[in-house]
Amino acid sequence: MIEFDHVSRSFGPKMAVSDLTLAIARGELFALLGPNGAGKTTTIRMLVGLLQPSRGAVRVCGHDLVKDARGAHLHLGYVPDEPCLYDKLTGREFLWFIADMFGMSRRQATSRIDREIEHFELGEFADDLAESYSLGMKQRLVFAASFLHDPSVLVLDEPMVGLDPRSVRIVKDLLAARTREGMTVFMSTHTLAMAEEMADRVGIMVRGQLRFLGTVAELREQMSLEATTLEHLYLELTSPRGLQP
Amino acid sequence: MTGRKPGHDTVRPLPFEAESRLFLRLRATLTWETIRSMVRDSRLRLTLVVLLSVMFWGSLYGLFVEAFAFLDDLHADVISLLFNAFFSSLLVMLVFSTGILAYGGMYCSTEARLLLTLPARAEMIHAHKFREAIWFSSWGFVLLGSPMLAAYGVVRHSAWPYFLLVLPFMISFVVIPAAVGSICCILLVAWLPRLRLHALSAGAIAACVAAGWLGWSMYSRVELDTMSAAWFERTFARLAVTEQKFLPSWWLSSGLIEAARTDRDGRMSAGGLGESLKFLSLLVANAMLLQMFAGWLARVAYRRGYSQLSGEVPARRRRPQGWFDGFLGAAGFAAGRPLRLLLVKDLRLFRRDVSQWSQFVIFFGLLGLYFFNLRSFNYNNAYASMIGFLNLAVVGLILSTFTTRFVYPMISLEGRRFWILRLLPVHRDQIVWSKFIFSFVGGLIPCCSLVLLSDSMLGISWRLIAQHELCCVVLCMGLSGIAVGLGARMPELRESSPAKISSGFGGTLSLVISSLFIMVVVVLAAVPTHLFLVTHALGPGLGAPSGVLAWAGGPWGTATSLTLVVAVGLLATFVPLLLGLRAFRVLEA
Repeated sequence: MIEFDHVSRSFGPKMAVSDLTLAIARGELFALLGPNGAGKTTTIRMLVGLLQPSRGAVRVCGHDLVKDARGAHLHLGYVPDEPCLYDKLTGREFLWFIADMFGMSRRQATSRIDREIEHFELGEFADDLAESYSLGMKQRLVFAASFLHDPSVLVLDEPMVGLDPRSVRIVKDLLAARTREGMTVFMSTHTLAMAEEMADRVGIMVRGQLRFLGTVAELREQMSLEATTLEHLYLELTSPRGLQP
Repeated sequence: MTGRKPGHDTVRPLPFEAESRLFLRLRATLTWETIRSMVRDSRLRLTLVVLLSVMFWGSLYGLFVEAFAFLDDLHADVISLLFNAFFSSLLVMLVFSTGILAYGGMYCSTEARLLLTLPARAEMIHAHKFREAIWFSSWGFVLLGSPMLAAYGVVRHSAWPYFLLVLPFMISFVVIPAAVGSICCILLVAWLPRLRLHALSAGAIAACVAAGWLGWSMYSRVELDTMSAAWFERTFARLAVTEQKFLPSWWLSSGLIEAARTDRDGRMSAGGLGESLKFLSLLVANAMLLQMFAGWLARVAYRRGYSQLSGEVPARRRRPQGWFDGFLGAAGFAAGRPLRLLLVKDLRLFRRDVSQWSQFVIFFGLLGLYFFNLRSFNYNNAYASMIGFLNLAVVGLILSTFTTRFVYPMISLEGRRFWILRLLPVHRDQIVWSKFIFSFVGGLIPCCSLVLLSDSMLGISWRLIAQHELCCVVLCMGLSGIAVGLGARMPELRESSPAKISSGFGGTLSLVISSLFIMVVVVLAAVPTHLFLVTHALGPGLGAPSGVLAWAGGPWGTATSLTLVVAVGLLATFVPLLLGLRAFRVLEA
């Protein structure tokens, strides 16, 4: 569903992502980890089409993000780290805009919007202008919008920022359910516990390179450290004396 | 949870027309909601804006009626020249302003970031942001151009089709420079990302040099025969450079002049209508072609440009402590150090906020340019004095827009940092006083310099210059007191946007009080001076004022008026400041 084919991206002289090759299958929840400045956000931005790779190609459901961005976006849902909304639209109007953008019929859009309003418990404030929302409310609305068209691929950039524990639980349950149904999730996070709990595979990025790719069990095995947490493994791997790729 | 398969069995790419309609609907909803919230939350501001716009429109209309009637008697052909000069200047300005606005909307806004992650066509996003840019860049043209063209039609006794044609002419004209600006913006960002700032600067400098050259060539000598027919002819001969047949400004001017033509029986001339429609078609065709080209270019290069721009590494510049900051922080007694450090902090924020100092430089720079050109005319004494006072009022009004826009929100903007200030060994009063000193001293230097420049160019006496400077000091003090005092009295600590803070009730109130204060100060100072000059010019028994008016125009009257000016200034400074200080001391944040 997601393919990074020898992807590199530089910012001036700095190589933010270097020769990244990665394939994520249908129904997989993948967590990308790494310290600040490792290249996670750059990778996510290339995956959603905001950045174009300097070299290589990124594909979603077979659609190249540079050559056929529109085709790829039909399959994508995206939750950015900072919610982007229209202040002067109500939550419901925003969801209608997204539904219309994905070409949903009126009947489908109505039922999907009601469904997501219920899932994310937006009913109380769905008809208020977004300018009056708190950060957590905005984030829940963005989640609802990203689930609206049942995307094949969901991209999440630090998804739990601003959410209260109940909303975090809702999101986790939804992600688990949707991945079981075949949705692919690509998530960048610093919340290691969440990655450990939810991810099928993790990737650890350091200075633009994928230092590790596999399951948490494989990471333990590779680092010859048994019965330890992902946090320990992560700190060990991202330390200056960590494993070489 | 119901079982479902992800995929796009329920989604489909939107056809072009449907997507276009969707964006139009979005724009309409956003506009409607913005108007509704303005009506609900900013009634005072909205009323003022509408009222002032109507007044502005009406005054301009009256002025243009007089001017066109005068020109019609003098020489009807100069209308074409004036239209060409006016519209060609606007053409250049609209290219730059729309380019800059399109850049902000398409590449720097969070909305663009959202839309680029949706299955929207790049050309549709461009069209959506282009409409926004064109509105923001051209409303001034509509406000300025519509009374002029309406007045022209009235003076020429044009038939009703002229008035109907004005709007399509204006819209089709505006689209051309706007599309050119947007095309330049896309090209620069996509292919010359590193050169865009240089290209923009070079373009702006070239435009300024061209305008400066034109202005200089017209006003380089002190003209003793200003406003005479010969002077007009010389000036218009120099303006003829703007009459170029390949320019849309020429098509617009010619089309409007043709549309205004009437037969002897007062009906629209058939030939004129035909010619006018030909020019309108030319404008519409070019506008459409350029828009199509801009759309195609956006399809090809918008995403690429956005990616290029996002990939730029912001230059890490070390910012060593300036000598002035160091001096200000260390000078004076130890007890005043916290206040001085707050001043240094505000000074640094001002220096590093391009939007603040660039507007400051542009507005005061333009005013300086205008004052500098005053020497081109010769005045009699009373006329020069009146212009001097009007210039003083203009300086005050410009300063009041700055104090409202930038100084009024200063206390509110401390909201998110308020906990830092509360933990510091700084008395709250010092925070308020530091803002006042910053605004007062910051306004005093450019304003007094401008007033001095204006008076020197007008060639008025030192006595009057001293009087104007005193008024200027009073204005700076009072305007700073009003903005800081009301800002502290009505802070909006949760708001992070200075524009939103200044456009709220408190900001609008501050602007209204500031405007009234300027009017009171200028009228109090100007009336006795004017009476004094009239008395001296006419002499007793020749219609010169007598009785109370004579006393008011005498030295005691002048002294009284200046005392009143100072008293009003002190009131305007200290009443709002004391109210603000009292409220700020007990503020919970």
